[in-house]
Amino acid sequence: MKLRRALIVSSMVLLPFVLAALAVFGVLFARQGGFEPYRVPYGGSRVVASDAATIARGEYLARIGDCEACHTTRGGTPFAGGRAFATGFGTLYSPNITPDTQHGIGDWSADEFVHVMRYGVSRRGVLYPVFPYAHFARVSDADLDAIHAWLRTQPASANEPPPNRLEPPADSRRMLVFWRMLHERPDASTPLDPNDRGRYLVEGLGHCAMCHSARGERGSLPPEGHLAGGVIPGLGWYAPPLDRVQLERYSDQELADYLRYGTAAHGSAYGPMAEVSYASLHALTTEDALAIARYLKQVEPAPLRPAPVAVHGDAVGGKGADLYADACGDCHGKDGEGKPGAYPPLRDAVAMTAPDPINAVRIVLYGGMAITSTGNPRPHSMPPFVERMEPADIAEVLNYARRRFGGRDSRLTAEDVRSMYGLVVD
Amino acid sequence: MQRSLTWALLLFALAGFGSSIVHADDNLADHLAACAACHGKQGEGVNGAEYYPHLAGKPAAYLFEQLQGFRDGRRVNAPMVWLVQFADDAWLREIANYYAALPPRTQAADTGAAQLTPEVAQRAEQLVREGDPARRAPACSACHGANLAGLEPGIPATIGLPADYIVAQFGHWRTGSRHALAPDCMHEVAMALTPEDIRAVATWLSQQSNPQGTRPAPAGSFTPPLSCGALATEGAR
Repeated sequence: MKLRRALIVSSMVLLPFVLAALAVFGVLFARQGGFEPYRVPYGGSRVVASDAATIARGEYLARIGDCEACHTTRGGTPFAGGRAFATGFGTLYSPNITPDTQHGIGDWSADEFVHVMRYGVSRRGVLYPVFPYAHFARVSDADLDAIHAWLRTQPASANEPPPNRLEPPADSRRMLVFWRMLHERPDASTPLDPNDRGRYLVEGLGHCAMCHSARGERGSLPPEGHLAGGVIPGLGWYAPPLDRVQLERYSDQELADYLRYGTAAHGSAYGPMAEVSYASLHALTTEDALAIARYLKQVEPAPLRPAPVAVHGDAVGGKGADLYADACGDCHGKDGEGKPGAYPPLRDAVAMTAPDPINAVRIVLYGGMAITSTGNPRPHSMPPFVERMEPADIAEVLNYARRRFGGRDSRLTAEDVRSMYGLVVD
Repeated sequence: MQRSLTWALLLFALAGFGSSIVHADDNLADHLAACAACHGKQGEGVNGAEYYPHLAGKPAAYLFEQLQGFRDGRRVNAPMVWLVQFADDAWLREIANYYAALPPRTQAADTGAAQLTPEVAQRAEQLVREGDPARRAPACSACHGANLAGLEPGIPATIGLPADYIVAQFGHWRTGSRHALAPDCMHEVAMALTPEDIRAVATWLSQQSNPQGTRPAPAGSFTPPLSCGALATEGAR
């Protein structure tokens, strides 16, 4: 008897909490789009136009979306998938998106393709948000159809990428629904006007914010970190903010050139951006490149964007200065001014001004060669110092250079430099 | 008239071809600081960095094939992949031509390396000159030339290379992380030799020099016993 009364009392006490939890669940579920994302439209009779002009437009758009980079391994069949993505939750492998009906997406209908691009849910289940569907949701139906039409013309491949290796709970696609309840807000990802060209390309197919934003909890992309810059998950490079403050020193034309040619007055693309220029942005038309440049140069700094540095350090002496004169000055100039057309200036270079020193350390360790492009067919290169300079000296020379040319109170240690050893070339 | 026009066109074409390779206006070495760090300013190798191979004087088509291989996943070496992964064929070909045209390395590599015992040195030289028919291993010299200076277009010199580099390549060939265009002869050769033989041959080769700076033999000047993909390097392009 006593037990029964206790049960009744306790359930009455708990009831409000249960109801409140259900209400929160309901609201969050509605905000991530309700049931709509999970209603994948298999089949359907809508046919995508496949005339030559549509296919050519689809090829251009697919190039700007850089589908091939993520869905292809080095030397592998284009779009056959299998490229590895290291994340904080484990390793993911991109799927095969060739027209093979069994291993690829050959039997996807026009509606299913558009649905996957918009909602990130396919017949295989909920997709991991390394796939930039929140950006692709901003692309017009007609453009998504054109991309689909072109992909269908590509050679089919029976390649089967390795299964993902993820830790619980991330290994369950169903758990992604909870992630989406916390972080997915499709109301903010509605299609944009294709004629508002710069915004349309940057926020849509270009998916620039995937690397150039400050990440939030559980790898999310909160609006206040949009294009605010940050360390790219899994890659070990820092991507700078993309806004009017960061890009002030570029003219529209210089920025357009940088995107297409991988090099311009202020230096060359390196790290992951080199691949973006080489594999994707080189194909931009002059008008689209300029439209992107104009759009980016008027983006207002996001709340999470770190404050820029205004004051440069003085030319002080010491070991850092000596190391700089010995190893760097011949090419980058006594005062970090560089040599136009050959060696980039260090004054105000991202590697110098960035709050995170990782780019500077990695370029010094492993060097680099600018991409080849029509605007720079015979690029210059930076030698690797990993075998020629002790970590303590690399820290010393970079502290000097980042203070002097970037205005950063840089306090790298030998230990920091050692922690950044290791090249990711998949 | 027609003949002179043909000549004019031919000269014009040659001039155009030449200008795409040789740019007198700037020094190619200024572009290749990254290469020089490990391979030497003249591609001659760097003393003290005795893992890296010299490049100077190797067949251009061979060097081009290696650069392409790093870019396209046929050869795996992270620092090399890092540097050439976003380079197009025209630029890789220019780099290959540049190093191929430089004078071949004349020195031995591991001058300070432990000397081989007379028995091991004899075994190594026998493998280099005659191979080991019982193991179906051809002689190095059968493909790389009696003077081991290589054969145009696809077969490099093997003398003056660091022993560790040669041993590492055999490892790569065995595991398939380095492979030539099919048929991949060096995979077969690497599988036929024991680790002891590989170490012996590598050490022996590293201690040979090329004092005359002999260049690779012209294409077709002798016929290797195997029909390797490397022999078709140029034809496949």
